[in-house]
Amino acid sequence: MHVPDGFLSPQTYLPAYAIAAGGWAWATRVLQRRLDETLLPRLAVLTALGFVLMSVMLPLPGGTSVHASGIGILAVVFGPWITFAAVSLVLLLQALVFGAGGITVLPVNALAMGLAGSAAACLAYRLLHPIDERAGLFAAGWLATVVPALLIALVLGIQPAIAHTADGQPLFFPFGLSVTLPALVVPHVVLGVGEGLLTILVVRFLRRR
Amino acid sequence: MQDRLLLLGYAVAVIAVTAVHNPWWLTGGLLVAAAVAGRRAPAIGWRALGAVLYFNLVISVGYAARALFGQTVSIDYLILVNVRVYLLIFLTFTLAVRVDVLRALNFSQGLTYLATLALSQIITFRRLFEDLRLAAESRRLRRLGLRESYLQSAAAAVHLFDRAEHDAREIALAMRARGFFRPDAGDDARGH
Repeated sequence: MHVPDGFLSPQTYLPAYAIAAGGWAWATRVLQRRLDETLLPRLAVLTALGFVLMSVMLPLPGGTSVHASGIGILAVVFGPWITFAAVSLVLLLQALVFGAGGITVLPVNALAMGLAGSAAACLAYRLLHPIDERAGLFAAGWLATVVPALLIALVLGIQPAIAHTADGQPLFFPFGLSVTLPALVVPHVVLGVGEGLLTILVVRFLRRR
Repeated sequence: MQDRLLLLGYAVAVIAVTAVHNPWWLTGGLLVAAAVAGRRAPAIGWRALGAVLYFNLVISVGYAARALFGQTVSIDYLILVNVRVYLLIFLTFTLAVRVDVLRALNFSQGLTYLATLALSQIITFRRLFEDLRLAAESRRLRRLGLRESYLQSAAAAVHLFDRAEHDAREIALAMRARGFFRPDAGDDARGH
């Protein structure tokens, strides 16, 4: 679901950095309020957990599998701001140390996956879990997959409109919303079902302990 | 200091690469990046090619296919976007090889500690996750059904949560034992 480096214009990623910086500042305040002196080790371990949860396989019918995102699980267990901080650090380390992802796309990926995805997951869980715990967990996992895909499709889809040559040729991502929305959102609507099921299993296993 | 300068140079180069829309300039930038990478340039080049090949091929073929529907297709765009994406990935891989990120981040003590701890935990968790995967692989005689696969993935995730909780507690205790959290601990406790 990550946006790859090189397809976003500076008109997109520079404002995204400004918005994300505000989010990171707020997340730091929330973390300091909630996590006392164990802030550093806890955030470090959660970052590692987020990194490895992205390696957990999401089985698909037919014997194949894809990587889970784990955002729904992290969001239900730790809340959106801690998830946002941990996912942002994961993306930073992936870009700088492991050479995956990229620095221009980091704020968009962090905002879409870490903040919007986890906030949607938390909201859905809070609304639904008093009615049905399973429905709340499923919705959290599903929305944590679909909402970032929708946002990333929107960001990619507006690139031809905001960055193009005088004769209208694109300079970054070439396809408009009519292509990006179905191409990204439809598969993630299906993948979200798997993520929702995994969220139910993991959180219920954790609660039983 | 050198690592920090290289990190800063990388950030400036990345912004410049996305602000330049001339493929010749970007090709020139690629040559400069190859010179910075030194003897590792061929290896980085192949690795970068592998990383961009699939996605760029999909985008490029999809864009070129517009011609079939009578839409305008620009060869200049295809060259530009492919050179730009390749250059950005090449720069990122060069950074990962040439720069000690932990040293580059030492302008902020908190960020350095956080990155150091997170990286050490990532290495531990990846090894643990691979052990779990291999253990599951070695114990099965047939392909798992969908339900079993989900239970296995969930069990691995739960084990990682347990390990995370345990490690966070252990690291906090170890840091406290070394006086890290005392406000008056100063730089001595932090190893300076």
